[in-house]
Amino acid sequence: MSEIQRICCFLVFVGLTSVVSAQSLLDDLNAAFEDPSLPVTATFKDTRIVNVQSNETPAEGVLHFVIAHRFGTLSSGAYDLWGLDNAQMRMAFDYGVTEGFALGVARNTYQKTYEANVKVKLLRQISGPEAFPLSLTWYSVAMANGTRAPSEDTPYPFSRRLSYVHQAVLARKMNEKWSLAVVPSFVHRNFVSESGDAHDLYLLGVGGRYKLRPRLSVNAEYHHFLTQSFGDAFSPSLSLGVDIETGGHVFQLHVTNARGMFERSFLAEPAGSWANGDVYFGFNLSRVFTIQS
Amino acid sequence: MYIPKKPILLLLSTAFFLAAHAQTFMTREGHAHFFSSTSIENIEADNQQLSGLLDASTGDFAFQVQMRSFHFEKALMEEHFNESYVESEKYPKASFQGSIESWESVKPNGESFDVVAIGDFDIHGIAKTYRIEGRMKYDNSIWHLNADFEVTLADHNIQIPPVVRDNISPVIAIDVDAQMMPR
Repeated sequence: MSEIQRICCFLVFVGLTSVVSAQSLLDDLNAAFEDPSLPVTATFKDTRIVNVQSNETPAEGVLHFVIAHRFGTLSSGAYDLWGLDNAQMRMAFDYGVTEGFALGVARNTYQKTYEANVKVKLLRQISGPEAFPLSLTWYSVAMANGTRAPSEDTPYPFSRRLSYVHQAVLARKMNEKWSLAVVPSFVHRNFVSESGDAHDLYLLGVGGRYKLRPRLSVNAEYHHFLTQSFGDAFSPSLSLGVDIETGGHVFQLHVTNARGMFERSFLAEPAGSWANGDVYFGFNLSRVFTIQS
Repeated sequence: MYIPKKPILLLLSTAFFLAAHAQTFMTREGHAHFFSSTSIENIEADNQQLSGLLDASTGDFAFQVQMRSFHFEKALMEEHFNESYVESEKYPKASFQGSIESWESVKPNGESFDVVAIGDFDIHGIAKTYRIEGRMKYDNSIWHLNADFEVTLADHNIQIPPVVRDNISPVIAIDVDAQMMPR
């Protein structure tokens, strides 16, 4: 090897080592440790998008308390202060038994309806090297109408008061702002007032949220009847809402054409027409209490 | 054959000294803890997955944590921390990279040394130069280190909305400790 070759070799060697050391320790650290795969959280701010369930459940040991209000139609005019005189209420308690498994009870002013529900996260969206694209959450609710029998001689057994809804919530947090959900629903009513009405209904819902700011999002949902058309008396359920988050509260403001706040009502009986202004203003306030940490 | 003993001893002891000073040390399970104290409530979180590298020949170091690995007492606090304050999806990691001042005076002799680490502390996408006082000790092939420092949230554009201003301190106390093994 000539002197010049040696010098060249030396220079190449020095060049290579300086390239290696130019890489920072932080780059080295990033190369040494793979980013972890983590479940995606906060796809929606609350356990509901507007009316329909989101993929979220209360965290383990957390009691989620919701007071929801639904006022009369905006089209009822100034005399009823655009519906504010006719408030319906729903009071709900949902408890996170474990992470991804919640049980709940609720009572509605509308038709004095009681609810018992169960919600389970079956699949979770995961980000990172072992990513999974979406979450799947199951929701089942039994509802019981608590109104008195229309008259004393009309039989109104308990079984007639019952209805059930089962839903699969497929949700994906697209990015930090957008979250989307597809919600197929099955509604079963033990008793229908019109003889032509179906006991079983199938619907396909879509919902989403867009985060305007870290603590403010706009939400929307729509449910399409798959099995039955109701003519002019029914419009598909369409709702728009805003979620505002403060410390331990989420405030939800919305307009919807559904009168009731429980599944059978807002899925199977949305009567209001958006075109005629037969829509209701609603207001939910939710609060979480950590029972067990 | 005659072998000179003194130079060999010198060489060996130098080699031992270099072993402590001339290699890279690493941790993946260091501990970071932060504490926010106000008259209304205290909020704290722990992270047991602090990772770090220390180049013992130069005193250069880099540390990093995943923001999502901070765990809180209340699930909602953790959600708000990630969603609203540090925005973990946009800025998943915090890091501190720099070097120990006067590294040559920190001896790997089992004694604890007060040290000053100077470097770039990067959280919420905003890096600032920090001068952090801590302690280091080399013992049984392990560098032990700990430090505490304060972070002013406004310096890193972490905004606290007025409604929770009384609940979250504008200055957060942070303490870290780690045992770094030869890589």
